[in-house]
Amino acid sequence: MTDPLGIINRIGNGAGGFGRAAGVETAPTQGPSFKDVLIKNIDQVNKLQQEATVATEDLMTGKRMDLEGVILATHKADTAFRMLLSVRNKVQSALEEVKQMRV
Amino acid sequence: MYGALDISTSGMTAQRTRIEAIAQNIANKDAILDSNGELSPYRERIVHFAPGDPSAKTADGREMGVHVSMIEINQAPFNWRYDPESAFAAKSGPHTGYVPEPMVNPVVQQMNAMEAARAYEMNVVAAEATKAMTAQALRLLA
Amino acid sequence: MLIDEVTSSGAMPALEMMVRFAGSRQRVLAHNIANIDTPNFRPMDVSPGGFQAALAEAVERRRAATGGESGQLEWKETSEVRAGADGFLELTPKTASGNILFHDRNNRDLERTMQDLVENVTVFRAAIDLMRGRTELLRQAISERS
Repeated sequence: MTDPLGIINRIGNGAGGFGRAAGVETAPTQGPSFKDVLIKNIDQVNKLQQEATVATEDLMTGKRMDLEGVILATHKADTAFRMLLSVRNKVQSALEEVKQMRV
Repeated sequence: MYGALDISTSGMTAQRTRIEAIAQNIANKDAILDSNGELSPYRERIVHFAPGDPSAKTADGREMGVHVSMIEINQAPFNWRYDPESAFAAKSGPHTGYVPEPMVNPVVQQMNAMEAARAYEMNVVAAEATKAMTAQALRLLA
Repeated sequence: MLIDEVTSSGAMPALEMMVRFAGSRQRVLAHNIANIDTPNFRPMDVSPGGFQAALAEAVERRRAATGGESGQLEWKETSEVRAGADGFLELTPKTASGNILFHDRNNRDLERTMQDLVENVTVFRAAIDLMRGRTELLRQAISERS
């Protein structure tokens, strides 16, 4: 069973070696963890936003003359932001669901 | 709020006054009697513009725009036409036997009318542009 | 303060300045057009190049100070444009020179004036649309709907 955020791993280890002694191990994660992917994407969105800001300001000050370039940069940044927002909302609703689970 | 729209409207009003004066000139280009039947040939009306709008409420508004500063009655000498049979011919003096007629050149009046119409249209374009900008800005809130 | 950061984030201050400038310039252009037939009239204008240079300077200062994503723009007063703290913008238009002087001593230039008008409206629209896109995104994020 995969454990993206490392919660179950921690609990298992905190219980004092029980998990390890019994030889139960979580499956090795293939590729980067969800946390790393999320952080990398946040950085990406931030970078795109900054690029859009610089592009817009350059258009206003006359350093660049192409309106379409600015529109494309802004559009990319907007789409990335909306995607991130969507992911955040999904994670939030998933957390709500988990909180309401009867154990 | 005194803005670009008021300025364009003042331009339109001024040009309309000018066209009305031109229309009057053309209509009266052959009139030599006044309303009482006395001999008083028509004199051309000339409309003068000046920047600013004295009827505006703010000091800022009084500087911008345009208004008709005066309507001058052209005091140029009349056009004299030789017609000794006419009842209105002068009886004595240097123009004996000549009838005074208005000095209105319809070709010049038509050129002026074309120019006034063009200026009116430009003011309309400016007003439309301002309207489009305002509508666009309001959509920001919606 | 959080609200200051949200309202002055990204390219918003530069867009705001451009919107205000284009709005004020519209009055100057309308004044020139209304006086197209007035004798002895010299058309006035504010130079958009000068405004853009001053805006570039203010943007550079902001980038150096806070990294370019937050903070207000500090406007240095130029001979033509003065911006106040409460958001007003005052223009001092100058008389252009170099056009042909017509017989009524008015040095209008019909095509140039029309071009200036169209450019002004276009710049205004572009800035407003860019602002709107940004505002909508912020609103969505704030309302937590995707």
